[in-house]
Amino acid sequence: MRNISLFFGRFAKPVSVALGLLFAVSTLQAQDAKEGETLFKANCSTCHKVFGKFLGPELAGVSERHDEAWLLKWIHNAPAMIASGDAAAVALDAQFPNAAMTAFPQLSEDNIKNILAYVKAEEGKKAAGGDAAGGAAGAGGAAAASGDASNFMIIGLVAVIALAFGVILVLNKVIRTLERVLVNSKPIIPDLTEKAPGKDYMATLKRMAKNKKLVFFTVLLLAVFLGSAGWKTLWNVGVHEGYQPVQPIKFSHQLHAGVNQIDCAYCHGGAYKSKNASIPSANVCMNCHTAITASEKYDGELSPEIAKIYRALDYNPETMEYGPNKRPIEWVRIHNLPDFAYFNHSQHVVVAGVECETCHGPINTMEEVYQYSPLTMKWCIDCHQRTEVNADNAYYEQLIAAHEQLKKGEKVTAAMLGGLECGKCHY
Amino acid sequence: MDSNKKYWKGLEELQQTPAFVEKSKGEFAESIPVEEVLNEAGLSTKTPRRDFLKALGFGVGAVTLAACNRTPLHKSIPYLIKPEEVTPGIPNFYASSFNGQSVLVRTREGRPILLEANPAAQGLNCGTDAGTQAAVLDLYDQAKLQGPKFHGTDTSWDELDTQVVTALGSAAAAGKQIRIIASTVNSPSTIAAVARFTEKYPTTRLIEVDAVSYSGITKANQQSFGKAVVPQYRFDRADVIVSVAADFLGTWVSGEEHTQQYISNRDYKSLKKGRMSRHIQFEGGMSLTGSNADVRVAIKPSEEGPLLIALYNAITGGSLPGGLSSNSKAQTALKLVAQELRQAQGRAVVVSGANDIAIQTLTNAINVALGSYGGTIDLDNPSYLLKGDEEAFSAFLAEANRGDVDVAFFLNSNPLYYHPDAAAVKAALDKIKFKLSFADREDETASELDAIAPNHNFLESWGDAHPRGGYYTIVQPTINPVYNTRQAEQSLLIWAGDTTDYYTFVKTNWEQNILAGSSKTWKDVLQTGFEYKGDAPAGTYTFDTSGLAGVAAAITKQSQALAKDVEVQLYQSIALRDGRQANNAFLLELPDPISKVTWDNYAALNPKFAESLGLGENSVVEVEGENGYKVILPVLMQPGQAMGTVSIAIGYGRTKVGKAGNNVGQNAYPFAKIVNGTLQFNTTAKLNKASGSYELAQTQTHHTIEGRNIIRETTFAKYKEDPSHNTGRWSDSHKTYDLWDKYEEPGHKWVMAIDLNACTGCGSCIVACSVENNVPVVGRDEVRRRREMHWLRIDRYYTIEQEGESYTEEDEIGRLEDLENVSVVHQPMLCQHCDHAPCETVCPVLATVHSSEGLNHMAYNRCFGTRYCANNCPYKVRRFNWFNYWNDSRFDNYLNNEFTQLVLNPDVVSRTRGVMEKCSMCIQRIQAGKLQAKIEQRPLKDGDIKLACSAACSANAIIFGDANDPNSEVSKALRNERVYYVLEELNVQPGVGYMTKVRNTFEA
Repeated sequence: MRNISLFFGRFAKPVSVALGLLFAVSTLQAQDAKEGETLFKANCSTCHKVFGKFLGPELAGVSERHDEAWLLKWIHNAPAMIASGDAAAVALDAQFPNAAMTAFPQLSEDNIKNILAYVKAEEGKKAAGGDAAGGAAGAGGAAAASGDASNFMIIGLVAVIALAFGVILVLNKVIRTLERVLVNSKPIIPDLTEKAPGKDYMATLKRMAKNKKLVFFTVLLLAVFLGSAGWKTLWNVGVHEGYQPVQPIKFSHQLHAGVNQIDCAYCHGGAYKSKNASIPSANVCMNCHTAITASEKYDGELSPEIAKIYRALDYNPETMEYGPNKRPIEWVRIHNLPDFAYFNHSQHVVVAGVECETCHGPINTMEEVYQYSPLTMKWCIDCHQRTEVNADNAYYEQLIAAHEQLKKGEKVTAAMLGGLECGKCHY
Repeated sequence: MDSNKKYWKGLEELQQTPAFVEKSKGEFAESIPVEEVLNEAGLSTKTPRRDFLKALGFGVGAVTLAACNRTPLHKSIPYLIKPEEVTPGIPNFYASSFNGQSVLVRTREGRPILLEANPAAQGLNCGTDAGTQAAVLDLYDQAKLQGPKFHGTDTSWDELDTQVVTALGSAAAAGKQIRIIASTVNSPSTIAAVARFTEKYPTTRLIEVDAVSYSGITKANQQSFGKAVVPQYRFDRADVIVSVAADFLGTWVSGEEHTQQYISNRDYKSLKKGRMSRHIQFEGGMSLTGSNADVRVAIKPSEEGPLLIALYNAITGGSLPGGLSSNSKAQTALKLVAQELRQAQGRAVVVSGANDIAIQTLTNAINVALGSYGGTIDLDNPSYLLKGDEEAFSAFLAEANRGDVDVAFFLNSNPLYYHPDAAAVKAALDKIKFKLSFADREDETASELDAIAPNHNFLESWGDAHPRGGYYTIVQPTINPVYNTRQAEQSLLIWAGDTTDYYTFVKTNWEQNILAGSSKTWKDVLQTGFEYKGDAPAGTYTFDTSGLAGVAAAITKQSQALAKDVEVQLYQSIALRDGRQANNAFLLELPDPISKVTWDNYAALNPKFAESLGLGENSVVEVEGENGYKVILPVLMQPGQAMGTVSIAIGYGRTKVGKAGNNVGQNAYPFAKIVNGTLQFNTTAKLNKASGSYELAQTQTHHTIEGRNIIRETTFAKYKEDPSHNTGRWSDSHKTYDLWDKYEEPGHKWVMAIDLNACTGCGSCIVACSVENNVPVVGRDEVRRRREMHWLRIDRYYTIEQEGESYTEEDEIGRLEDLENVSVVHQPMLCQHCDHAPCETVCPVLATVHSSEGLNHMAYNRCFGTRYCANNCPYKVRRFNWFNYWNDSRFDNYLNNEFTQLVLNPDVVSRTRGVMEKCSMCIQRIQAGKLQAKIEQRPLKDGDIKLACSAACSANAIIFGDANDPNSEVSKALRNERVYYVLEELNVQPGVGYMTKVRNTFEA
């Protein structure tokens, strides 16, 4: 007995160490690839794909083509390497005259190794998928296992249905029994319904119509109701709060601004410079959507919505060029100010520092954009009366009187500086 | 002391005609018969009250129903690939040039909407005249051709090229001549392109000919100094300026350039230094320059030559025969002038407008005697704006008649319209095998030719100009070609077998020639818009006086030929000039600076002369020229016009220019004649009263300010004694009472100062204002109804100059016999942005209110058109929209089509019918300037904001800025002693200050 325990004792340590190491190594590799994926998407995917040429070379097989030390150096600071005259670097650069490899000084050696590991892992996955025969056996086993599970489920379901059927039968029997009881005791309960003819309703109505107070109150209520409804309707003529037209492309702000956290200014940069926030031109979409095709959601096909951008630009994904038959995307304007009102985004966004959401609402949760604010003049004026002027702006130093008040610590609102005057918005 | 001079805007006012008195009572020409409809008698009229109410009820119901439709769907279509430099909503500026004037083109989302003087070119050829300001509308002209044409049918460029190359080939093979007829070509690249073309086809020659010729000057200079050029005049160096019928501030050579120079010795800054030039004008018709002169003497065209002879004699002590013997007033003036000129040796200049070699030679002699060369006249850096030579064109016609010419191209040239003998030109052209025009439309010449290869508009072109010695400007496109047009130079290159695109051609030409040896690159030039290589040093010029006797004899002979009963002086109007832009609605509606006539030319006659011919207001007269050409023209009674003369503007009467300009006025070119090889605009005619009447669309007495003292004028001598002489400041001597509380303007206070001494009345600001603010064009009939929409107008006032008499009462002026001697004051009038504005008080809906920045705001969407404000405005500057001018088939000549609407400024709304409007002091520019400062987190600087009118003013007569900034230019200007406020006694506290008009008259 002791021998046996000794025997196990002798083996236990190396085995457990070996197992531990094995486990550690496998998890480390997994982490590598996972972190590498994030880094790859953030830094590399703009220009590179693992499989296939993009703006830069295909990355699959990169570790075979170059040694690791060279790759580390190259990814870390490619321009320096080209400048230093490294033969491989210069040759590589010459292959892609329209795209220069950017320097990534922020990536540590580990980071780069992780990215390389991710590329390797992807290669491995493809090799696994591509090796059809080898993969089939494994896949078959898995299918068998999952088939068992589903058979069990089907049997369960059949059992539940059978049980339910039984319950229904029993209940039906009970109902029939109770009906029989009711029929037997019929004389006991008198039938009242036969005694009430339709004529009496009219009589009641006539009686009620003779009641002047009741009529007065009914009419009054009706007047109040119709009046207020009419008032509300008229008051809101031309106010399109909640207006949510169907757009030519099902563009989701919830996905772009919400999930992906893309800054508003990336697409609507005009809001910071101009009166128009401006809808981004299609080539801005293409900054990302040359690479991001959302094909994982569409069985490897291009997303039909992204395809609309491609069609608009007559874009050929093979040659990565825009064709001659471009067709503009006709968005439906949601926020319509009247022509006689002048509104300038940069005044509000840059000068006043108003957040986009203040007027456009929770845009990062909107699957489809709707008009959040009423965009009425009252709405403008309310805000002008509330909003304080940004006293740090050197421009306002010039407004002497206002400045005096600022020094006294009083509130200076947009309205006090003439923000309510007609000519500030209407010209 | 208050002025005792009386001013009047027109003869109607002077004579207090019943129609004038009636009309001056109301702000609007036709009042709405509200009372008639509403009183009891109204029931029996055509539209009784009940009918009115029925119509009203039905109208309201119908409108309500019509309004019950779905909210319209607005599309928002972004760029597919946005050009990097374009941010929607932000204008881009491109440096370019027009007629050699360096300009900045303001574009929005890729369409040009405004031209503005290039501030970097200050002192060179800066400034924009009315034509330049309006030129942006020409781009959106519907009359333009949409593609090439061959024998009147549309064709493709390939087919046209084949035809042209075949024609050129056969001409070359036969050894026949090829001619390119063009108006002055001063573009180095065009010249190079023509040279390239000539290499391929050596029989080619470029013939430059202009509608209005200066060849008299060129040839006189060739004879006198051996330099065949139009010199550059330097009025800034002149203390005494004598002009004999040269409209140098307006249409003569380079008006804007001269204006800047001239004003630099006369504006408030110069006066402050105690300097002011003296300007004496002798002329027949009242010109813009004459209206600005210190002393103006009316002379007949036949007296121009004798006057110059007498002047020469008086200055040099010579004794040329044929001096002025008539016109005692001119003779008196002449003596004083000669004395002045002699004293101002080296700082004087004499210019003469006649395009006659003899007269110009004599003028050269006078200027040599005055030591002007190298000082006030620069022969070494000449002007290249006008190089046309009609002798060369006559030679071409002779060649064509002989059958020597096989191919002729016309570039910016329309001789069948402007040649005095169009029939002869047509006959000669018929003998040419292949004729082609580069015109952008089927004009009078192009429509008669074999083919049209439409040229780009200058806003679509690459190019350059060489307006004067040492100074080059570029032309760069600001929009893609709208139609299927091709630049003329590109066509020439293609036909010469050169496939270089013209952009590369221009660029190479600049890099190899103009920029050679300079540190500047092509890109630098694209940014600045011009290259100035500095002036060549002045040479010395001697003049051989031995030939002067012959010159005098020639002058006398000519003058005798002119001295008939009725002498005719043809002139270019300020708006239309030679008629090239005759389809431009902005220019057609720009009132003439003197006569205030729009949409027509006319026969200008002195009222007394007209009376003697039995002509009066609204008469029409048949003018018969020496060659028998007859036209019927409306008569304009023009005070200041010399007796026995008639002035007629050229540039009108076009028949194939487009919807707006066709058949506006009559063509006066056929009256001109070619004498001794130069085109002369002085001629004679017979006048016969014609039957019928014609009402000219004049803005003359619209918005009349009923003889109140609104013009303040003094003389330079009095000014030197007391700078504030005759400002009549009310507040200095009166206690004022206010109905209103004082307005606080804690931040900015936008005000304006207008220097009456700098304003020449040229009207460039009016067009600039119209373009910037989408001010509609209303057309001739509406102007007659006093419904013109200009936010800014220039009032022209006449006053009588007659020594020894004071005119304090209107009726005294009325008795005056002499209507030759009037002097003129121009006064820009616009919304005065009164602090205590009478218009604001009467608006029942608060559509016009005061701002905390001193502006009088106008909220169009609030206005419902009671027009009370216009009735209550003492300055008569409010305009009412009687129609939707931009969307009404009755106003088809302007904006009523989608293409032309592209010229609208998107930062300013276009107003609808039933709404009042007026000058907003370009509030869109004020707001934009403030916003820019806020974004950059800095205080607003003086000069950050420029108004359209002040930016357009070459003379800097309109100064705008913040009165709360004591160091701003406008604050300084308003502290000037000369400042007065119009109708200050009303205590409406206007925000626009005027500076007195100072005249440097002879002190008796």
